[in-house]
Parts: sequence; C-alpha cells; structure tokens
Amino acid sequence: MTNLKMGPHDVGGEKSIPIDVNDKDMTHWEKFANALRIVVSSKRIITLDELRYHTEALGDKYFEIGYFERNCLSLHNICIQKGIYSLDDFIKIRSRKISEFNVPIIELPDVKDIEHLHNGKPHKHSEKDFQEDESGDGPPDYYFDTLAIAEIFVSKGLITNDDITLKIEQFDNVFPNRGKAVVAKAWHNDSFKKELIHDAKAAISDIGIELETFADIICMPQTDEVHHIVVCTLCSCYPRTLLGMPPSWYKSRSYRSRVVHEPREVLAEFGTIVPINKEIKVHDSNADMRYLILPPRPSNTEGLSEIELSKLVARDYLVGVRLPK
Amino acid sequence: MDTKFKINDEIIVDMRSSTGHCRTPAYIRGKKGVVERICGQYPNPEEIALCKSNPEIITLYRCRFKQVDVWDNYSGKVSDTIELEIYEHWLKNA
Repeated sequence: MTNLKMGPHDVGGEKSIPIDVNDKDMTHWEKFANALRIVVSSKRIITLDELRYHTEALGDKYFEIGYFERNCLSLHNICIQKGIYSLDDFIKIRSRKISEFNVPIIELPDVKDIEHLHNGKPHKHSEKDFQEDESGDGPPDYYFDTLAIAEIFVSKGLITNDDITLKIEQFDNVFPNRGKAVVAKAWHNDSFKKELIHDAKAAISDIGIELETFADIICMPQTDEVHHIVVCTLCSCYPRTLLGMPPSWYKSRSYRSRVVHEPREVLAEFGTIVPINKEIKVHDSNADMRYLILPPRPSNTEGLSEIELSKLVARDYLVGVRLPK
Repeated sequence: MDTKFKINDEIIVDMRSSTGHCRTPAYIRGKKGVVERICGQYPNPEEIALCKSNPEIITLYRCRFKQVDVWDNYSGKVSDTIELEIYEHWLKNA
C-alpha cells in the first residue's frame, strides 16, 4: 500500500496526532494569498489542477511550509514554468515591495512625559493609560511574493486589484452566510428541503445564489440512523462560495488523515459522540463534487422565521463535525 | 449518457501506481465497492494538471465502500461506509 502513495499530500489513512478543533482567524496576508489564488483559478489563467500538481511536487518542502505559503510557491513555480514572468522581473518587483515596508522606526516619547490639555488645564497621563496602536508580527516573506505576483498579473491586464479586494470581502462577509441561509430555508420550508437534497446546485441557484463554481454540490441530510461527515484527504476541497474558507482544522494533516479510518474518534474530539449502533458515512471530497451536510432542525424552534433560524446555523454542522443540540 | 458502469454495479479500483497529479487516493486503490451515483462527465484532472489543451472527458462516479473492506482492524460499525469520487479509467468490474 505504501508504494502507491502519490506524494506528501496523499494522507488518507495515516496515523496522526489529535486535532486542534479550534479554528484560527486568518491574517491579512493569508486572506490576500487565498484571494489571489481563487481569482487566478476562477479566471482560468491557471487551473486548480495545475496548482494542485505543483503543490504536490514540492516534495519535502511541502512539510516545511504552511498551507498558504505552499499555495503561493506553487503559483510562482507555474508562472516561471509557463513564462508568465521572468525570475529577474519577479525579484525586481519583490524587492520594491519589500522596500515599501521599510519605514523608519521613530523614537516614541516616554508616555509619562506626555502632557496635554483637558478642559483647558494641563493634564498628565500615567503609563497604564496607553495602549500600543499596533502589535503582533509583521508580514511573512511569502506575502511579498504574493504582492509581486499580483502586481505582475495586474500589469499584464490578467486581473485587477479590485478583483482581489472583492474576493477578500466576499470571503469575509458573503460566502459564509450563504450556507447558513440555505440551511435555514431548508429548516423552514419542506419543499425547498426536498429540492435541496434532490439537486442542491439547482435548488441553491433557484433562490438566487450564484455559486460561480464548476463543481456540483451534493447535500446529505443528517438522520437518526446515519451521521455524515466530509473531508478532503488530498488537499482541501470545500464549497468555498457556499460556506466561506475551510476552517484551519479542515486543512490540517491530522483531520485529513484520520477521519477516513477512525471517524468516531475524530468526532469525539469535536465533542460529537456517535453511538456504535448509528452508521457513519464519510465523504471524501476528492474530485469534482462539493458537499453540504444538512443538520437536523434544533428542537423548540417552532415559529421562528428563516432569519432567526439562520442565526442558529453553525458552520461546523455543515461539514458534519457537530450537531445542533 | 452511455456509461461503462451503472448504479449499484460492483467495482474494484485499479491497484496501479500513478505519476503526476491524480485524484485517486492511495488508500482506496485495490478496494472493492459499488457505484453510488454517476456524477457526470468531467475533463481528466491528470491531463489538466499538465496543461493539455483538449483533456479527455471522462465519466465520474461516486463509489461506496464498506469501511471494513477498506481498513484492516476497522473498529466502527460494520455498516459504516466511505464514499468517494472515482474517474472511470480507474475502475474495473469486480
């Protein structure tokens, strides 16, 4: 079996460590790298399969760098290979991007010495009154790579800066709410629920949500007899335009390797106990389908409107790792 | 749509190795299951990854496997299943 492994990305069935089930917020540079990759692939400038192939071809480097840095490096490698830009041009633009961040460090006044007027009277502050405006780490090196790649793509007319800004905003504010609205409608409206289970892509399109995706959507309803859970063992396939960004644990090696062969143990780490007499179906989202798990409507919600119901929908229900109480 | 396999047909995923980009995970190769549904026809990702201009269009199937047939020592329920999408050129009659 081991000799069939395709590369560092093909992790289904490996033994691994416990899953960190808390989602991590994305930094600006992660959002930028993500938006750039999605814009480039949705405009078919570079296909998703090319990007995956070059990520898988990173070899040992795959293990050494994080998810977004890997995506950035594979995008860069494809651009060089396809002659979209030369390495010299890239280095030149990247250096300029770094220099734009080289602002001088200014000596700040001692906070104890700051005096200003309050109601016309001089007023002194103590140190505890002050909070640094900025804190945290600066951008990682790969952020300058993504900035340089984006500038080159814009200068060639392949994408615009607005494309990237819009994509970041959609991931923050639009996509995560779509899945919740769809599930609330299914809880509220039985004929929509039937249509959603029968043909999710058509049902979602019929209520005016344009998913802008080539993939098909399959909706699996949780029942008393069967528990559904979704994973992508090969990368991080996820219905992004329906649910937003996949949570960090969904992209983690531990989740991707373990769910397929020990789903009950993994679910227990999320606090979801599935008894041994209830069947579990694991869906490996490994090719062109994307999945939406329809959770059961919570009890004591009779009479609630669709909007009110949508506030009860948690993202984790829609991947199948948790159930509403 | 004329497809090589129909729903509920018993299939085996080919046990061959692969080079380049491929969407058939190692853990499912050589395993026996059934066709759960026919997903439609899609360009071969193995060819798209290499930028072939006219990739072959292949039928994609969702296949269902019993977990106990996939993993040695599977400790869950006997009827637990795993379902995944397999392109036709990776499937053989069981």
